[in-house]
Amino acid sequence: MLKPERMVKVSVVGPKDYFEKVSEILYDLNILHIEDPIETEYFKLGEPFEKASIVSRRLVQLRSILSYLKLDPEKYFPKRKFRAEEIVAELDAKLEEYRNEIGAKIDKIKELQERLKTLEEELRVLEPLKTLGIPPKLLKGYKTIKPFVGFVKVDPRPKIREITEDFLAVLKDYGKEYVIAVFVKVENAEDVFKVLQECGFREVTIPDIEDFDARINEIKAEISSIQEEIKRLESEIEETRAKEADLMLAIEEYLSMELEKSELPLRSLVSKYVFVTVGYIPAKDFEKFRSRVESETDGKVTVEILEDKENFNPPTKLTNPAYVRDFEVLSTTFAIPKYHEIDPTVIMAIFFPLFFGMMLGDIGYGAIITAIALYLKRIFKTEGWQKLLNIAVYSGVSSIIFGFIYGECFGPFIAGEGLSPSEVHWFGNLMASIYAFNHGHPLFDRVESFGVKALLFITLVIGMFKLLWGFALGFRNVAVEHGFKEALLEKGCWFIGVLGLSFIIFGFAYNLGIFTTPPPDGFGKLLPDNLFIFGSYTVEQAKNVPLPIPGLVKGWQTGVNVFYFAALPLLIIWFILFAKVEIPKMGAMGIIMGVELLTWFGQILSFARLLAIGLSSVYFAYVFNYLSLKIAFPPGMAILPLGIIVLLIGHLINLMLGILDPGLQSLRLHYVEFFTKFFEGGGVLYKPFGRIKKFLE
Amino acid sequence: MVGELIASDAFIKGCAAIGAGLAVGLAGIGAGLGESGIGAAAVGATAEDRGFFGLGILFTVIPETIVIFGLVISFILMFAYG
Repeated sequence: MLKPERMVKVSVVGPKDYFEKVSEILYDLNILHIEDPIETEYFKLGEPFEKASIVSRRLVQLRSILSYLKLDPEKYFPKRKFRAEEIVAELDAKLEEYRNEIGAKIDKIKELQERLKTLEEELRVLEPLKTLGIPPKLLKGYKTIKPFVGFVKVDPRPKIREITEDFLAVLKDYGKEYVIAVFVKVENAEDVFKVLQECGFREVTIPDIEDFDARINEIKAEISSIQEEIKRLESEIEETRAKEADLMLAIEEYLSMELEKSELPLRSLVSKYVFVTVGYIPAKDFEKFRSRVESETDGKVTVEILEDKENFNPPTKLTNPAYVRDFEVLSTTFAIPKYHEIDPTVIMAIFFPLFFGMMLGDIGYGAIITAIALYLKRIFKTEGWQKLLNIAVYSGVSSIIFGFIYGECFGPFIAGEGLSPSEVHWFGNLMASIYAFNHGHPLFDRVESFGVKALLFITLVIGMFKLLWGFALGFRNVAVEHGFKEALLEKGCWFIGVLGLSFIIFGFAYNLGIFTTPPPDGFGKLLPDNLFIFGSYTVEQAKNVPLPIPGLVKGWQTGVNVFYFAALPLLIIWFILFAKVEIPKMGAMGIIMGVELLTWFGQILSFARLLAIGLSSVYFAYVFNYLSLKIAFPPGMAILPLGIIVLLIGHLINLMLGILDPGLQSLRLHYVEFFTKFFEGGGVLYKPFGRIKKFLE
Repeated sequence: MVGELIASDAFIKGCAAIGAGLAVGLAGIGAGLGESGIGAAAVGATAEDRGFFGLGILFTVIPETIVIFGLVISFILMFAYG
């Protein structure tokens, strides 16, 4: 689970006569991740098998039809599957049919649309000309007169009048412009044309027709008949689509497979007589792989493990059980683990829902999230969505569990003192009676002061734990790749530093009395209260010097407890290791980089958001409940509907924040605070030669 | 009169509450300003290449820790004086 699948590098070598056969076998096995080869003097990249060109031509035709029909193999889910033999038998006939039935119709539709466009264009010319009220044959064909017909932006008549009085102009309003017909003598034509151009003249060619009205009616009739024709063709195509979709996609899949098979030579090296394909397969499948390839080729093709330490760059095949696999969508968004690295998905699968629930922690919201996710799962069927929605379901369930612990269902039923449950929650009394087994209190009340303090401390402990775990995993990763010494200097050093830091935090907490005083100031008497190094002090005395820094705090000896005492050597070891790394790199100034330890302290504090996000959502819910109750049942009158509106809107906002924020923050705690300690990524996902059939059996 | 007021318990509590509010609020403004530029750049990079999404989130939320510092300070103030 934590480690990607073990791989071996294998070579498949044989005579070229067997290449096509081997391609079939490898594709069927679907386990060889091919490594793209580099050409050498004698071995060159191969050329696709002969069938490739036919297959790809067919595929292009089919895919263009599929794209017109908006059939996406990724998004379509077949109702029935076909056997490959069925496809082969029908392939030619069916493709021919599709070309004629659909392809031809699509072409026809395109043709009709083209015709529609020209007709509309003509209509756009005729309609304005018609408004002039002059028959078309009078608009052209003169010997001594020059007609100008078209559009102008401003009325040109006054300007024409400056040139000649001898003209005729008909001007009609047409939208933002004017339609105009100007008739002038030929000798004035040039000057008038200039004037017209100044007025933004756009000439229109006069069509050879007898009558505007007749032609316009003709065009309109043709347009409507074309539109009907297109509609008819489209509905016919739609019919075929509904009937043939499964088969079409099955054929597409079959052809894609054939194409991929025939392109294997492009990913292999060939010489005059032999071919070599190199790739990676899971180590456990090697025997199966070899025996299958060798037996089916009568031993002519050999499979061998390549012990190539230098060029061993295997792909990453994540091996997670079903529940964990859903979270791969989150972890691989950050990066794909390298082959030697730990795959953190399983850790994420445990802590993501946990953090989400810890933050949201509300039965009502959790139930709604779960219900919405389950509903959406039936609509969005693609793999990515299914995984994300599964995560939402787990997170919702976790919220319900934490909601029960916190005693919250659409907000808390206990908030502060002096308010009865029925004043802060619509069903406060019911909630309180459910928790009667615990004297009407939730199992853990994160709203009151002890709850906040306790949760703050718990989140910090989680933070320390996660940071240390991260560095430990980082230590392992570096040790595997570069050896123990490197790992110690790079990660071990910080592990020790953070461990020292953690002891300091515990020491501080001890001096505050968190482990010795009963609630609400501490967790009860977990430790004896005399764990001090310099004499027999008590926690009561140490409270005055929670952080005993010699020289800075008076009477610091009082506060030095065992935790501080344990932290000291750890910090010294950290500092020595740290100086060993940094001084060769940066000189004496490198010591200053030790401030980085404070960054880890900041990251530990960062886990306090587990408390903070939750509290903000609790108070949101509480405020809306309280407000709407006050509005709904004010003394003396009742405006119940208004109260309910406030309640619904408030909870809707809070729910949206409640989905978004805990999700993102939980993600962030993994990405920023945890993954950066050990997870470099940069691996290549395992993609074997072959495919999982979706439309074929 | 003023001295009495300043020394009074209610005044100290009030100041602590204001301080707590300022700690979270100002830290929030600062983090927001910091995140705006990074966020815009991260969205731009993600539009170019979907694979950048994870790293983009990581970069965007780095300044957010400052708010948590503010929050912790406000908790300490409230525990100490609230």
